[in-house]
Amino acid sequence: MIFRKILVNSAEAIVENKLRSALTMLGMIIGVMAVILLVSVGTGAKRYITSEFESLGTNVILVQPGKTDKKNSMGPPVASSKGKLTIADVEALQKNAQSLAAVSGVMFGAGVVKNDLATNNINILGSNDQFNRIFNMTIIEGNYFSKEDEESGRRVAVLGHTIKENLFGSSNALGKLVKINESEHRVIGIIKPTGDKLGFNVDDMVFIPTKSSLRLFNTDKLFGIRASAKSRSGIDDAVAELTAVLKERHNGEEDFTIITQVTMVESMNTILNMLTYALGAIAFISMLVGGIGIMNIMLVSVTERTREIGIRRAVGARRSDILKQFMIEAVVISVSGGLLGIFISMAITYTLYFFLPGFDMRPPFWILPPSFFLSFFTGVIFGVWPARKAAHIQTIDALRYE
Amino acid sequence: MALIELKNIHKHFLMGEENIHALNSINISINEGELTSIVGTSGSGKSTLMNIIGLLDLPSEGQYFLDGKNTTEMSDDDLSKYRNQKIGFVFQSFNLLPKSSALKNVEMPMQYASAYNKNLTDSMIRKMSLETLDKVGLSSRVHHLPNELSGGQRQRVAIARALVNNPKILLADEPTGALDSKTSEEILTLFHELNSQGVTVIIVTHDNKIAHRCRRVLSMSDGIMQDLDGIKI
Ligand SMILES: Nc1ncnc2c1ncn2[C@@H]1O[C@H](COP(=O)(O)OP(=O)(O)OP(=O)(O)O)[C@@H](O)[C@H]1O
Ligand SMILES: [Mg+2]
Repeated sequence: MIFRKILVNSAEAIVENKLRSALTMLGMIIGVMAVILLVSVGTGAKRYITSEFESLGTNVILVQPGKTDKKNSMGPPVASSKGKLTIADVEALQKNAQSLAAVSGVMFGAGVVKNDLATNNINILGSNDQFNRIFNMTIIEGNYFSKEDEESGRRVAVLGHTIKENLFGSSNALGKLVKINESEHRVIGIIKPTGDKLGFNVDDMVFIPTKSSLRLFNTDKLFGIRASAKSRSGIDDAVAELTAVLKERHNGEEDFTIITQVTMVESMNTILNMLTYALGAIAFISMLVGGIGIMNIMLVSVTERTREIGIRRAVGARRSDILKQFMIEAVVISVSGGLLGIFISMAITYTLYFFLPGFDMRPPFWILPPSFFLSFFTGVIFGVWPARKAAHIQTIDALRYE
Repeated sequence: MALIELKNIHKHFLMGEENIHALNSINISINEGELTSIVGTSGSGKSTLMNIIGLLDLPSEGQYFLDGKNTTEMSDDDLSKYRNQKIGFVFQSFNLLPKSSALKNVEMPMQYASAYNKNLTDSMIRKMSLETLDKVGLSSRVHHLPNELSGGQRQRVAIARALVNNPKILLADEPTGALDSKTSEEILTLFHELNSQGVTVIIVTHDNKIAHRCRRVLSMSDGIMQDLDGIKI
């Protein structure tokens, strides 16, 4: 019998067993949806995080104390006790590294800020007068620290917007005193509401000069150094120069780690690709389950239709005709399930995107052909065995089958 | 040469320890155009023999020549082709596809025949199937499902299905076993008509009346065949 006729026969058989076909298809629909949606989540997360990093500014350079083996690390390097960055390092960079536009040591810690009216738990960030230029922070009232503030370690503070609101409400805060970890600081500036930047909410932070923060935390060891290259294209030179200056100061040892936006995005991508693959693997398993569902139903179908097979063989169907019939049936079920799965996941993600534009989980188009072929091959692979079984039933046994 | 030639045909069934000898050295030859009946007690091997003649089953031993070809040496595909092109089989229990209409059931053998005759178009298949249904007197029931038809009508659909590819041989294993005597009579008349048109007909039956109406009667007992040619029973 020619292919088209078998196709029509298969379609008829599927329609004749509506419920069973629908349930089998469901397995395939869910499998394909899992593939598409999970890959979409993966790529969506990647897109989001990458754009987040890019918003940081492309010429930012981060220096962390300690050296981590780059090849083995997947995330941002973790500081080790070995290696120490100090204010002297920062000053040397400011003096000698010509390719850097701005350099600041940073100190970071938890603390409490209070005045007569309120008490807030906060993150304290120690930085110098150049820090706001590195991260493009906009001051809406007053000023960021001056060089004198930094050099003499004055007890002055710049407040994130939420902190200012909490402590002073709408009244003027400039020139007022606040207690940071029991030490009085004078407010000299307020930062424009910014939201998250590199995982911290700038609005919930209090900025003080590096020297003041080292005194506050009673240490001489910086949390790290932040710098910016003069230009985007000069970032490699800046990194080289920065490395050379610091190495010379550290007895030729490279006991620090440099992170740029490029390395950050790269290492984040590694993680996110892993995530995408992991999700893909989960999706693959659900595809497998869908395939086994098809095989299961096809085996039941073959048994149920043993007599039909006998009748068809008796009037002249060849083994290959029976094989084709059941193969095509499995593939038609899996492919229609696959197409429905593609359609439903597109509908879901596009509807979500339409109502919540921030929630972009639209599947990348490259995933569509593979999901289609995956459903096709699942049908082929899991249809073969039942179909072969059907083709090899002896005619007379099939006719006798009750 | 005879159309059907069985030489020393044996058939054993192994049931656990027991070896059932269902056919024991059957030798017959049936010429083209004959109308033959096979009679015998229940369990004597009539159906087993018919299944072998109809190429639904293979003998354990012996040779079966059909239209001059040794079927015991044929490939499975060739056997399928012979079933499709040369033989029409009518079963006691009709064996129609329950979810397909009378027309679809009759069209089925022709669809498999299109593998051998590329000129068979869908419309030709439809036309010839309708003609065959008309020939068995069912032109008003073509779109009915088997369970919407009476027993006699179902058997007519089955006969139409057996005839649609114009086979040389029509095999019927107790075709009227499930039918009343009037309907049986009609079916039998149909077989006679077909025979007079040149189709070789073999009917298995318990009914002596039917056997009497056939020119040749073969009697089975315990797997052994006796040719009652000319002998009145
Ligand atoms: N598939 C089988 N497995 C085992 N034994 C079988 C099989 N088919 C037939 N037999 C045995 O072969 C013998 C002949 O059976 P067969 O069906 O040919 O009888 P029959 O003459 O058609 O009987 P009936 O008139 O009741 O239809 C019986 O003893 C039966 O039990
Ligand atoms: Mg019988």
